[in-house]
Amino acid sequence: MSSAVMDKPVAAVTAPKRLRWLRILAWLVLLVVLLALPLYLDASWLKAGEYAMVGAVGAIGLTLLVGQAGQLSLAHAFFLLAGGTAYCVLAGPTKDERVLGFGLDPLLSLVLAVAFTALLGLAFAPVSGRLRGIYLGVASLSLVFLGLYFGQSASTLTGGTSTGREPAAFELFGFPFDNTGPRIEILGVPFRQAEKSWYLFLALTIIALVLAWGAVKGRIGRSWRAVRDNEASAAVMGVNVARAKAGAFAISSAYAGLAGVMTVLWYDILKPDESEYGTYGINVSIAYLAMVIIGGLGSVGGALVGALIVNGLPQVLALYSTQAGLFTQSGEGAFTPVLVSIFIYGAAIILVVLFEPGGLAAIGRRITGFSRKNPGKEGPR
Amino acid sequence: MRRLSLALCAVLAVGACSTKAGDSGSSGSDASGVKTDVGVTSSEIVLGVMTDMSGPFKNLSIGITHGNQLWVNDINAAGGVCGRKLRLEVVDHGYKADTAKTLYPQLEPKILGMVQLVGSPITAALKGNIQADKVTTTPASWSSELLDNPYIMVVGTTYDVEMIDGMAYLQEQGMVKDGDTVGHIYIDGEYGANGLRGSRYYAQKHNLQLKEVKITSTDTDLTNIVTGLRGQGVKSIMLTTTPSQTGSVMAANKALGLNVPVLGNNPTYDPVLLKSPAANALDKLYVVASSVPYSADIPKEQQVAAKYKAAGFPEPPNAGTPYGYAVAEVWGTVLKKACDNKDLTRDGVLAALQQTTSADTGDLVAALDFSKPGAPATRQVYVAQADASVEGGVKYVKPLFEAPDAKDYQAPHQK
Repeated sequence: MSSAVMDKPVAAVTAPKRLRWLRILAWLVLLVVLLALPLYLDASWLKAGEYAMVGAVGAIGLTLLVGQAGQLSLAHAFFLLAGGTAYCVLAGPTKDERVLGFGLDPLLSLVLAVAFTALLGLAFAPVSGRLRGIYLGVASLSLVFLGLYFGQSASTLTGGTSTGREPAAFELFGFPFDNTGPRIEILGVPFRQAEKSWYLFLALTIIALVLAWGAVKGRIGRSWRAVRDNEASAAVMGVNVARAKAGAFAISSAYAGLAGVMTVLWYDILKPDESEYGTYGINVSIAYLAMVIIGGLGSVGGALVGALIVNGLPQVLALYSTQAGLFTQSGEGAFTPVLVSIFIYGAAIILVVLFEPGGLAAIGRRITGFSRKNPGKEGPR
Repeated sequence: MRRLSLALCAVLAVGACSTKAGDSGSSGSDASGVKTDVGVTSSEIVLGVMTDMSGPFKNLSIGITHGNQLWVNDINAAGGVCGRKLRLEVVDHGYKADTAKTLYPQLEPKILGMVQLVGSPITAALKGNIQADKVTTTPASWSSELLDNPYIMVVGTTYDVEMIDGMAYLQEQGMVKDGDTVGHIYIDGEYGANGLRGSRYYAQKHNLQLKEVKITSTDTDLTNIVTGLRGQGVKSIMLTTTPSQTGSVMAANKALGLNVPVLGNNPTYDPVLLKSPAANALDKLYVVASSVPYSADIPKEQQVAAKYKAAGFPEPPNAGTPYGYAVAEVWGTVLKKACDNKDLTRDGVLAALQQTTSADTGDLVAALDFSKPGAPATRQVYVAQADASVEGGVKYVKPLFEAPDAKDYQAPHQK
């Protein structure tokens, strides 16, 4: 990866200045609103939002891999489990006789857990470099089953399926993100676990987002797209194909690892699955793929919206319908919020594939008119 | 830039007017001196139900919910508890831990306790919250591993104790003797691991060779496992499995000519098996349980069944209903005790629970003693066999009893 042949001016520069400002402004307003939300929303809604953020981090990682680098992966759930387990082991208390723990600082553990999953992703390079398309998808699926087995058998690390293990509460330079520590009130709102973790999750999501934008706009992103579109021509242009592929898989895994750490912090427990269907099962891998497809393959912003639909919508619908007394029937054939949200996200995938294969991102680009001025910047494969 | 500052101003302006501050619940005591905090008003006591109405366990869960509701109807007709009517606040999590984790903070401020919490992954995810918020909760699980949390109230015998009692029954009947080889097929997870804990204890006490076989809940054909156990010369097989897996084991047991007695935990048997291809192979199956199936030959259960018919629920009844009724009845005992103590707060409920030494459910569930933290509330079980000729699909071969080995058994969190 040494050539600068592809270093054409990037879209943001060519786009009209006003539009660019508008765009930045829109993101800033969104940020301010998100920062203010804990003052207004109840803990349950915050919890739902945090779950969408977990999904967003994982989905950004997957959209880089599937959309930008063109490698199909169904292993996301495995890396979620690996990241969560690594965090629990590294930050866990040292004197617990049932499970292994190193008692490291939670922040350091988080960083190391992400690094660990990146290495795991890199270790998969011999497979991910040789296979493509559905073959890679199926090969990566094997990792999910490996994860299922590992979660059950390595009970000194994972806590086992019977009871699981509690993750160490996250702390930043001595500031705890749970209900311990001094009582904090801002504008009369008591800041407890849900409010504090909202800011933690928001910060992690923003870091993930900014890094992904940097990668997409920079040289790495260009090499990924070159490999995705045509390996031979990418190689001719001086891209090291094997390295670009391995790098994409490692980075995507690191994102999944971070999402895994967020998952165990969100649940307050690491509990390996008892069957293929669970928190780290094949269903989760598919949910992440759905986020990416709904959002538009390769679009980082689209992944955020996809995560909001797939992870956030069922939660919000369940909360709203309980509050409003909707869908209260029970029994065979009853319409419950969980069922309704499954229908919605299923329908979203079908509609996207049928009418707008570029996903919500393509719709967004069409509305803002960016696509005419910047064809193929983040476009579908 | 102007626009930005405008937007910021707008946000700050909104921020200044109405945050969610100051909506914490009120607490105090009423005219009769009964202290209350969350989920109790002067006219109402609200109990939570977090159940599965749309996921894999909806049949059983809906049965339990109807049982809960039947009891609430009965107690309200009799005047309620502490001069207050009872009400259930039911939410559906679809057996998804993430949904449950989100719904919990919405439900928690409205309820005094939870009469029903379905699902082991969900219980695990909420265990910390339940303890922090002091919400006394009855999980629809009977694992003694849950008992490290004082707010968890397990109504019935735990899986490990069921196993010990059941194996003692097999030995008493001469089907197993000291030194024999026996097999145990169990699902990896909270349920299976807890059952296995019991069989290991009994095997060690009686010098049995225990052959452990771990499976997952999605395995369907267990013929090869039974073949393997036959090769090892087992005299009996223990099961901590799903009903369909039980069917597979029973069919293989007969087809392979092994024909050894098979002992299963409460959840291993479902009367639906009598309509399955394995129906003719169930004669060697012994099920141990501390709660009764639907339409059991017990006066109290006949009453519950009659009420179920009268209530006109659309779903066919199942074993969840008498269990749900019994759990709610235990809750009634605890709430009445809390009322006598003039303390209907969450702390008061826990205190009342720990004073409850003989909750009686008219034999729907064995008599319960919650006074010893960490210990199962009862160690008694029924032994039952499948019988298609009886309504409810089960006949009792031994009434409630407690084996001496079960009495001595130390549960994992027992002090």
